[in-house]
Amino acid sequence: MRQSIFQKLFHNEKYKNQQFSEKDSSEEIAVKKQTISTNLNENLEIFSKLYLIPQNNDVNIRRFLVQGWHKEAALLFINTISDTNLLEEQVLKPLSKNEGTFQSVEDIVTAPGIKRVQVVEDVLIEINRGNAALFIEGDQQVYITSVSNFQGRGIDKAENEVVIKGPKEAFNEKANTNISLLRKKIKTESLIVESMTISKRSKNEVYVLYIHDLVDHELLNKVKERVTKINVDSIQNLSMLEQHIEERTKSLFPTILYTERPDRASSFLEDGYIILLMENSPGSLIMPATFWSFFHTSEDHYLRFIFGNFTRALRLLALFITLFSSALYLSVTNFHAEMLPPDLLLAISSTREIVAFPATIEIFLMEIAFELIREAGLRVPSPIGPTIGIVGALILGQAAVQANVVSPMVVIIVALGGLSSFAIGDIGMNFAVRLSRFFLILCASVFGLYGLTAMFSIGLFYLLSLRSFGVPYFAPMTPKYTSGNDTVFRSLVWNEIFRPGYLKPQDMKKTGDVSNGEKQGQNRN
Amino acid sequence: MRPLVKSILSLFLLVSLSGCWDQTEIDMKAFVVGIGLDKGKNEKINVTYLIANPEYGSQQGGGSTNEPATETITFEANDLIASRNLANTVIAKEISYDLLSVLIVSKELASDKNFIRWMYDTTKDREIKRNTPLLITEEEASKFIEENDPKLETRPHKYFELMFEHGTETGLIPKSDLIKYFRITEADADLFLAVFGTNKHRGGGKKGDGYLIAGEFQTKGKTNKTNLLGSAVFKEGRMIGKLTGEETRISLLLNDTADLPDYLTTFPDPFNKKFRVTTKIVKKGKNKIDMLYENGTPTLKVNVPLTIEVLTDHSMTNYGKNKVKRDRLKAYLTTRITDKINRLVTKTQKEFKGEPFGWSLQARKNFLTIDEYEKFDWMKTYPNMNIDISVDIRFGEFGRQSELPKLERVRD
Repeated sequence: MRQSIFQKLFHNEKYKNQQFSEKDSSEEIAVKKQTISTNLNENLEIFSKLYLIPQNNDVNIRRFLVQGWHKEAALLFINTISDTNLLEEQVLKPLSKNEGTFQSVEDIVTAPGIKRVQVVEDVLIEINRGNAALFIEGDQQVYITSVSNFQGRGIDKAENEVVIKGPKEAFNEKANTNISLLRKKIKTESLIVESMTISKRSKNEVYVLYIHDLVDHELLNKVKERVTKINVDSIQNLSMLEQHIEERTKSLFPTILYTERPDRASSFLEDGYIILLMENSPGSLIMPATFWSFFHTSEDHYLRFIFGNFTRALRLLALFITLFSSALYLSVTNFHAEMLPPDLLLAISSTREIVAFPATIEIFLMEIAFELIREAGLRVPSPIGPTIGIVGALILGQAAVQANVVSPMVVIIVALGGLSSFAIGDIGMNFAVRLSRFFLILCASVFGLYGLTAMFSIGLFYLLSLRSFGVPYFAPMTPKYTSGNDTVFRSLVWNEIFRPGYLKPQDMKKTGDVSNGEKQGQNRN
Repeated sequence: MRPLVKSILSLFLLVSLSGCWDQTEIDMKAFVVGIGLDKGKNEKINVTYLIANPEYGSQQGGGSTNEPATETITFEANDLIASRNLANTVIAKEISYDLLSVLIVSKELASDKNFIRWMYDTTKDREIKRNTPLLITEEEASKFIEENDPKLETRPHKYFELMFEHGTETGLIPKSDLIKYFRITEADADLFLAVFGTNKHRGGGKKGDGYLIAGEFQTKGKTNKTNLLGSAVFKEGRMIGKLTGEETRISLLLNDTADLPDYLTTFPDPFNKKFRVTTKIVKKGKNKIDMLYENGTPTLKVNVPLTIEVLTDHSMTNYGKNKVKRDRLKAYLTTRITDKINRLVTKTQKEFKGEPFGWSLQARKNFLTIDEYEKFDWMKTYPNMNIDISVDIRFGEFGRQSELPKLERVRD
């Protein structure tokens, strides 16, 4: 009995090769591979079948007569994703009013983008992308005019990576807009936008962006290889793609950076990183990513040297408070009470005296309660949001203490740790820190300060073992690389001479000899 | 089984086998703030615990208890380590020395030739910190603890912390940590000074401020009877005598290992015998100590640099304006202070046959090898040394406003 449970739990590999009753689609595939015939009706028949017209409501076939040639023609398009006004203006009107007999389609149609395709499959791809297909009686070509018009929201402010001083615009769900935002910041012919289709059924496209004469091509090939190796039906967006291409899928710590800020993405591009964009993703994936890229925000560089480093110091402090506050409380009160100042010791002792649970359980209760409030607060519909706040604050802050379930000191400790965790902006790193905190608490409750330091050391060893696309997680701090030395603290802007050496960029230096305004003035004199 | 399950299981086993050894919940401990040691029968000691009540006065919002601030218990034990368990026959919580802030020893036990044996027990216990102050009491330590009744600082650890902190600032009691006791005892060259206190009133305090020792200081009003004043002198780990408050102050002036002193004290006014001048004595630099080794008897030349601020001027002398009188005052103070120091030095040479000034540390520089120094035997040689004391006085300011009006004109 027990054996079988274990087998079910840990031997799920065999389910992967199970046979399912699936429908054979080889007939349909054969249809898609054939070329377009000269018979218009035959062609339309094929497509009506594929698109299930007329059940399929928004796929339209518009038949009309081309005056000059006296030929029947038809336009096939999906009206919800194409611009019908444009279609009428640039394709329908010119064709139906045309009276000349010798012009080709390209001469008559005024749309800027037009191309010819012959295979049914290719036509389908174009129509699915929102373009219109023009069939003409007796013609073996299908003319594709680009009139696609997908609906989406406009450019909004960045919501998760807020800055005070710096650009406010964020990526949205349209890849074209996102590329445009990046091109706006990097005006060079070396910025390459490659597109790759990665999924079989939904045909999702990934755009790989890099600066051709900066990026290490070995790294680029590694990224491309990993992207092309994916073999799935659908990858909806970057968040899903990230899980397919990352190196350690079960690791606590993220190895690919996700950002919704085009300015941040472009600054990474300019350093020789590689960026992935996708339709439907209001963000970008940056690789390779180091610990520092998760620790930094773009504002660190937008603020002046001292202010920027002050926020870095605060963030570092917040990181350690989140990691250690609860664990340190536990280990000090349970194992090393002599470390506390006498007044604090007696105060903690007196409040603990009437609490029913051991300190460890007390801490876990509060930590879990805090995580619950956080998760519930995130998912709660906005009209009842304030309720959560009141209930959370009242129950956890006030009533729990009065009911002697937790001591006030624990409320302070857990709240401080929870609050500090918000200073780590990146969601991946945020989760990693919050979860590793529980390991530290566990170790501290069993072994005291010794356990705490041992667990922290083990954690550090683990972090040092991580790699993102071959780049060590703590580079350039350890192992040491030539770089702008942008790790815990950043240096002066004109002292950041080098691009990160661990990326092996084709051009290492990013500043000239004189990049400081003051020095420049001296040179002129 | 997969390695992950294996490792999780083994980790669980590891944790359940080990760990949590010395874990004690903070609210399961009885915090001993003071330990009193008295002489018992048959080479045993009477241990008194002063246990703090954490609930007392710890709630800001007024939710305090009716329980008393402290609990005391006295019993006979072999030492202060075995006593921890014995106390638990009466005290419900585990006895903890984490918060120990004073070790109180009666004069009787401190003078015992075996006292040092019990003192070294404190180095054995993990929880006793070496910076715990040592307090010697005139009466039995248990009685001292019971009758000590601070009116405002009712939480005992606070009371002792503040008493020692401010007492050592004024110099009327020395700083007497356990580590200092062990260091001086093991160096076997100097004398150790411990705080002396009592809550018995002997009276007989007519000698003026600072000349007194604990028990002689007269107070009126509703306050604690305990007073800490003067010091107990320890030679080779055993108490051999006492110093008054003033003697303690002088010995700290001569001792460069002590914190730089800053005392308020009075002298008879040289210009009008009816009044006294209040001065603030500040030592800003270190003493200069030279050792001359001529004709068999070594001579120690000690120069004490002092800065003196004259804070009262009842004889309306106007020292700030009058150089002649200022010089006379300086000459007067120099002889008076030198005289006092000489008297103390003679007392230590004759009575204690050792010095509590830490001079042996500075004298070591005059020996080429440790062997040479050890052969010299500082403790033995000191009583026969010629000590040549000189005092250098520099005046600081004469009060915030140095000038005084002419008395005749005011009375006019």
